[in-house]
Formats: sequence, C-alpha cells, structure tokens
Amino acid sequence: MSNTLNECLRIQPDLVASATGDAEPDAARRVGEHVRACAPCREELEQYRAIDRVIGDLRPTPVSDSELAILREELATGLADLRRRLVRYRIFRSPLGRILIATSEAGVVLVEYLGGRGDPTASRLDRIRGMEPVEGGAEIDDLYRDLLGYLGGATRRLGWPLDLRLARSEFHREVLEATAALPYGAVTSYARIARQIGKPDAVRAVAQALRWNPLPIVVPCHRVVGASGALAGYAGDRPAIKERLLGIEGVLLERDRREAHVARDRMYARPGREQEYCLPTCGSIPSLTLARLTLFASRESAETVGLRPCTSCRPDLHPISR
Amino acid sequence: MGRDPFEAVVTAHQGEIYRYLRRATVGVAEDLSQETFLRAYRAYPSLPADANVRAWLFAIATNLARNHSRGERRRRAAYTAFRSSQREDGSEGPEGAARFIEARTAVEAVVDRLPVKQRLALILRKFHDLPYEEVGRSLDCSPEAARAHVFQAFRKIRHSLEDRELPGVEVG
Repeated sequence: MSNTLNECLRIQPDLVASATGDAEPDAARRVGEHVRACAPCREELEQYRAIDRVIGDLRPTPVSDSELAILREELATGLADLRRRLVRYRIFRSPLGRILIATSEAGVVLVEYLGGRGDPTASRLDRIRGMEPVEGGAEIDDLYRDLLGYLGGATRRLGWPLDLRLARSEFHREVLEATAALPYGAVTSYARIARQIGKPDAVRAVAQALRWNPLPIVVPCHRVVGASGALAGYAGDRPAIKERLLGIEGVLLERDRREAHVARDRMYARPGREQEYCLPTCGSIPSLTLARLTLFASRESAETVGLRPCTSCRPDLHPISR
Repeated sequence: MGRDPFEAVVTAHQGEIYRYLRRATVGVAEDLSQETFLRAYRAYPSLPADANVRAWLFAIATNLARNHSRGERRRRAAYTAFRSSQREDGSEGPEGAARFIEARTAVEAVVDRLPVKQRLALILRKFHDLPYEEVGRSLDCSPEAARAHVFQAFRKIRHSLEDRELPGVEVG
C-alpha cells in the first residue's frame, strides 16, 4: 500500500509535466502506465490537463499596432538620449603610462593620462555630468592601436572623428579645432592660434584652453608653444610628455637654463598663411616670433600639407642638416 | 560581424517582451520594457555574435521584473481583483463558457499571487515557450530547478482550485 503511495508521490512531477505537454517521452510513458492502474492519479492527470487548458487561455494576446507604435516611439526617444550620454571607455598601457580613451557615437570624447599618486584609474569621467561611462568594447582597440603606432613613430596621422562636447565654451572649442588642424611635425604658438581664431589678444586664454584639452595627442596641444619657442606648460603639469611627443615627431629641442625651447634655427618655417615654406634664415623670418610663424621639423611634414619650397631660399636645394 | 543592428533587435522583440512584462508585473510593463532595451543597448556590443538574443532579452526583462516585484504582492492582489471585475461575467452565455471564464479568473488570480520565481518560470515556459535552459538562465537557476518551479506553480494552482469544478473534467 505504502509502496503505491510513494509511487504516486514520486511520479507527481512527471504527471504534471505530462498533463501540461512538458514531459520527456520516457516520463510520459511511465505516467501512462501508472495512471492505467491508478484511478486517483488518472483523475489528477485530468485536473492538471484542465488547468493547462485554462493556462493556455491566459496566453497574452499580441500587442496592438497602436500600442506597439507608442512603445517604439518612447523607446526611440530613450535610446536617442542614451546614445548621446553613453560613452564607452577603456584603459590601456602605453609608453606614457596608463591612458584612458573614451568614445561616444560621434567620436573620441576623452583621452586621459592616468596614474600618478593614488588610484590609477580615477578619471575625469566619473565627475562629468550628463555622461554615462560604460566599459567599452573592441572598437576602442583600433584607436589604441593607432595611438601605439603614433607613439612608436610609425603613424603620422590619427584621423579620428572628434567629439568636442567637453569643450567648456565656444571659445574653447574654436581653440581646440584650430589646434587640431596643426599637422604632424609642425609647431606654432598660442599667439598664432589666437590670431587664427580672430582673437589676437586672447593669448593667455588660448594657453588656458589648451591646458584643459580633453583630447591630448589627438588634438595636438603639444605642438603649441610660447612665441619665443619656449615649451611652456602641458596637461597641467606634464612637460616631460610634451617634450617626448615633440621628439617623436622629429621636433628638435634645446635646453636653455632650465627651460626647453624649440630649436627654431634648425626648423623650416612658414610665415603666416604663405603657401611656401622657407629656411629659418630666409628674409625676415629670423626677426619674427612664433606669433607669425609655423615651424616644421622636416621638409616632408611641410610638403605633406601641400606647402612648396620657397623659390628664394630653396630649402629643396639646401636642406637643413640634422 | 554576423550580428544584426540594434534596431533590428528592437523590431523583432519589443512586442513580446512587453507582453511578457505586462503579465509578469503590475502597471510597470511600459517602463520596464523600455528599461530592458536600454540595458540591452548598453551591453549589446559585448554580446557574442552567436548569442541567443531573444533569451538574453528575456533574462534582462526577468531581472527587472524580479527587482520590481518586491512589495508588489498587495498591489498585485488588488489589481487582479480589479481586472476580474472588469471582465464580462458571461452569465448570459452558455453555461460551459461561463464556467470556463470563472475558472480562468480564478486561475489568473492564483498565478498573480504565486511567488515571483514560480510565476515567472510559468510565464516564460507556458506563454513564451522558452526552453528550460533559458528559463533557468533568466532566473539564475538550473534547468531542473526551473522545471521544479513550474511544477510547484501548477501544484499551487491545483490546490487553490480544490473545491472548484474545472470545465471539461470528467469526475469519477
């Protein structure tokens, strides 16, 4: 007697599964055999089948087209907002220490040198409102590879789309854009950038704006120096990195007392917006400050951006020896 | 790449996830379904190309439903009572239909009051035909445990309807 009771209890899960169309063939067979001999269980089976039919009737009806349209629209709005806010980041090792790269849908948003004292991963990202940082995917790997290529001297152009949303003002944005246009191996001054954006008196503001460059390396603020050629500041307090980046690009530096200077007498020069580049001794160039000049580390860097050798001083015939 | 753009994911699954949440929760299906897809969007680039996207979405939605269900039982009971009162009582129709509707209402009430894991397991299995592996994944349990949840759910329904005559059952 108790044997049968145990059997009924044991078979219950399979019985229910069988009634609800969820049983494996073996289990269904065992249930079939059991209920042939067991009337109470047969009745149970019927009860569960009836419940299953009722459950089947509770299956949710498809969402109406109009309801679905509303859902779609609300989600589209939510997604658009999320896309604007969402920033994917990764932290990489580099010869310059740990670097954080963050991208939005629009482009690279932040490049940050991490490290120093304290938490090596503490980033500005945590403090920026209106952005949702998410650890990001493989797409940032390409940027990392480019960056390594640049730091190794192999890559001369980081053609990354830029998202300048972290610019603090319209002025800041203009400064960053003008700086972004500086080619590889070229150097100019804060004063010249100020002139370029139509605000020749805003030299200190330009320097300040570049101090807060959210995209170092990519927006090459390392290529902007004092009008005298003195390197001035970088990324708050990392002048060593500025020197290193300039070195990678072939810009020669001199040390004068404690300050580093661009070796302008060993660099080609482009006066103003001339379409030619000259030797440093050409015409009035020696008397001009970098407020009026762009310097180039090599003929190649000048010619890559479409400049022609000056027809007077002929840098093509008398290149500067290195 | 072998993976659809996110828009295609939304188009393919938004309706069903909403239906699921409408049954799995009370009054928040719209919000939770939106949140499901926002979470999915964030995580989508990390999803392996061969992943079962539908099952993954159900897991996200289930997670949200479970988090939401705390403190929900009383709201749920009230809502079910309201929902039942809205239904046509069918007393004018044929007796069989009326009895079926009555049974349906009773079963619905029991389902709405099931413990959250049993309720969600039942819904995922019976209404959305998710295999037990995926039900388990959604509920953070093994497929066997998921099966057990469904079994327990049916048993609870059965015992709640003890004295009621279910339509279509032959007695004796």
